[in-house]
Amino acid sequence: MLVEYIPLLIIFLLAFFVALVVQGLGAGFGPRRPTERKGQPYESGMVPYGPGTRRISVRYYLVAVLFILFDIEAIFILPWAVVYRDLGVSGLVLMIVFIFILEAAFVYAWKKGALEWE
Amino acid sequence: MSGMQIVFLVAAAITLVSAVLVVTLRRTMSSALLLVLTLLGVSVLFVLLQAQFFAVVQVLIYIGAVATLILFVVMLTRSVMDTSEPQVHKNWWLAALVSLVVFVALVVTLSSWQAFPQVQRAIPADSGENLAALGKALVDPNGFALPFEVASILLVATMIGAVYIASERKGEE
Amino acid sequence: MTINDLNTILPLVVLAGWSVVVLLADLWIPKDRKGWTAALSAVGLVVVLGLTLARGGTVQKAFFGTVLVDGFALYLDIIFLVGGLAGIALAYDYLKRMELERGEYYPLLLIAISGMMLMTYANDLIIVFLALELLSLPLYIMAGFARFNLQSEEAALKYFLLGSFASGLVLYGVALLFGASGHTDLPGLVNTMRAGTGNQALFLFGAALLLVGFSFKTGIVPFHMWMPDVYQGAPSPATAFMSVGAKAAGFAALMRVFVTVFPSLSDDLTPILWALAAITMVVGNVLAISQKNIKRLLAYSSIAQSGYLLMAFVPYANAEVSSDSIAAMLFYLLAYTLTTFGAWAVIIQMEQQERRGLEVADYAGLGKRHPWLGLAMTIFMLSFTGVPLTLGFWGKFYLFSTAVEGGFVGLALIGLLTSVVSAFYYLRVVVVMYMQPGDPPVKQNRWVNLTALLAAAVVVGLAFIPGSVLDLALQAVLQLQ
Repeated sequence: MLVEYIPLLIIFLLAFFVALVVQGLGAGFGPRRPTERKGQPYESGMVPYGPGTRRISVRYYLVAVLFILFDIEAIFILPWAVVYRDLGVSGLVLMIVFIFILEAAFVYAWKKGALEWE
Repeated sequence: MSGMQIVFLVAAAITLVSAVLVVTLRRTMSSALLLVLTLLGVSVLFVLLQAQFFAVVQVLIYIGAVATLILFVVMLTRSVMDTSEPQVHKNWWLAALVSLVVFVALVVTLSSWQAFPQVQRAIPADSGENLAALGKALVDPNGFALPFEVASILLVATMIGAVYIASERKGEE
Repeated sequence: MTINDLNTILPLVVLAGWSVVVLLADLWIPKDRKGWTAALSAVGLVVVLGLTLARGGTVQKAFFGTVLVDGFALYLDIIFLVGGLAGIALAYDYLKRMELERGEYYPLLLIAISGMMLMTYANDLIIVFLALELLSLPLYIMAGFARFNLQSEEAALKYFLLGSFASGLVLYGVALLFGASGHTDLPGLVNTMRAGTGNQALFLFGAALLLVGFSFKTGIVPFHMWMPDVYQGAPSPATAFMSVGAKAAGFAALMRVFVTVFPSLSDDLTPILWALAAITMVVGNVLAISQKNIKRLLAYSSIAQSGYLLMAFVPYANAEVSSDSIAAMLFYLLAYTLTTFGAWAVIIQMEQQERRGLEVADYAGLGKRHPWLGLAMTIFMLSFTGVPLTLGFWGKFYLFSTAVEGGFVGLALIGLLTSVVSAFYYLRVVVVMYMQPGDPPVKQNRWVNLTALLAAAVVVGLAFIPGSVLDLALQAVLQLQ
């Protein structure tokens, strides 16, 4: 049964080799004359300022958490959707209850401004 | 050695080595990226167990969402780990010893258990059937309907926590 | 889904649904009117309490036997629901005073209680795990409810890290039990145990992991390290609620799983339980002596109480005494719940801004300036110690006598001696209240006052009819088996 996964393996290997080739070509054939200015981090032409590891806003965290929660919701819906025709009314009702409870959480997050970026 | 065994050994080795590196490396960013590799290895193990859906879940949720969240959190926090601080607790060898004993005991138990292969349930060969069975069980009152609905309440609690803890300080600071 | 299934767990369905409704309603309740949220939650709890009582303790199974409603669940549910009402009464004024008034507190409380109720129904290890998560997650957030207070943040983080570690251990235990038998439902596990088709060694591993995981949750030595910091750092009403709820739910799960599934492992498990109970009683009580902060003092006291509760658990496989000893444990849980909420009600009235008023020394003069509060606190301290005329006395009396019945005289002796030791720190609070001069500022609030006085009255009142309370507990246990 592992044969089914050979295309996936090919993609993995291809991605790996493309990355290797791109890096390798640059490293092998490009001229290399480092100076102090060239060694600085690239900030779209500006003179770099501040520490390199600045803290990012906590809003990213909030967005990521909300993403996880709705991702999990979607994952629950997926196997249900595959067979929902066979499940009848009770399957539909149960899924509606599940989604409505999560919608309440969504309304909560919305109302609390978790979705606003300002 | 069959092809499956080779794949298993490679995947297991990658999983374990990267898992060890996750906890031993000093830079949290590298640890977070290696965690992705660990999770990928686990998803290969799911494939070997014929649990294709869970392999996909592993990639979608754990790598796509959880690992991303962890990367964000790493970038959120200042790197508090000073290179001069010791990385291990002074009793680390004790924990290692206990883990080793438990591991050996489990391996001995399992390998000496004659009935072990019989306990394993027959795995359906067709992955489509697997997914359909899971979908049916999720909303079946005799299956997992109750845990399924409880999970939604659990997600609500999680959401409240995340929003409450991460919402901005207003008028303070 | 049959209506019968839903009807069986109706109180739980109503409570969980109500928590979502309260969460939504709170969004439209203005900031200065959060009393409405508290009132709504309290109404929900009262309704659910009514439904629970109306259903009574008849044994009913639902959802293919994964949940089981019986007298045992009924008894504990009443404790949780009354505890929830007390939790709301304690929280409302405190949150306002400490400028923490956010409506989320109440839905979180309701969700935690749903988890605890689900734990009492659980007849399947998957449900046990889900219930554990459902009750723990809101508690983590409640521990960190004072967000910009470093101590509260530390409490939430510590509680979360160790709590998820404990959940991991429980999950690993469940996985091993499933591996050993191919079952997660308790009846299935029992059958495999009886038939001997499962792997005994794996069963033992699984049981041990479950025990360790729940020991973290209930604060049994050596898995208690998080408790003092978390109890101290969390907002006081949250501490009060978690010290009762999480502990009772943890013991509920242990009782249900161990008494039904693992009697045959008792040769291996009983010595372990014996040692854990003994060391917990000794360590909790001895470390409490040197505490100067009242919240830390009660944290160590709570650890010690876990030891007493675990004592009842040691002869769990001995069919002759196990029902008696588990009834004693349920009795003790009731006494512990009432005493704890009462004591925290007094602490909450004493607590000032910036965490002042929490040292034992701050209680100087309380007995003279506020005689009722002083009297109530005295009753609670005496009940914790186990002095006659309080419910705590009967709790310890039944516990020790069943331990002796079960042949664990040494354990009962340790319990007795550590109780004497505990008198030292409990009575020190009383001595400070009455013997030292002072004028402590007290923030009176009628709901908190009501909780304290009611708890004190019940602790004393029920002490006159311990037999009928024990009968209730015995009935609950009889239906467990």
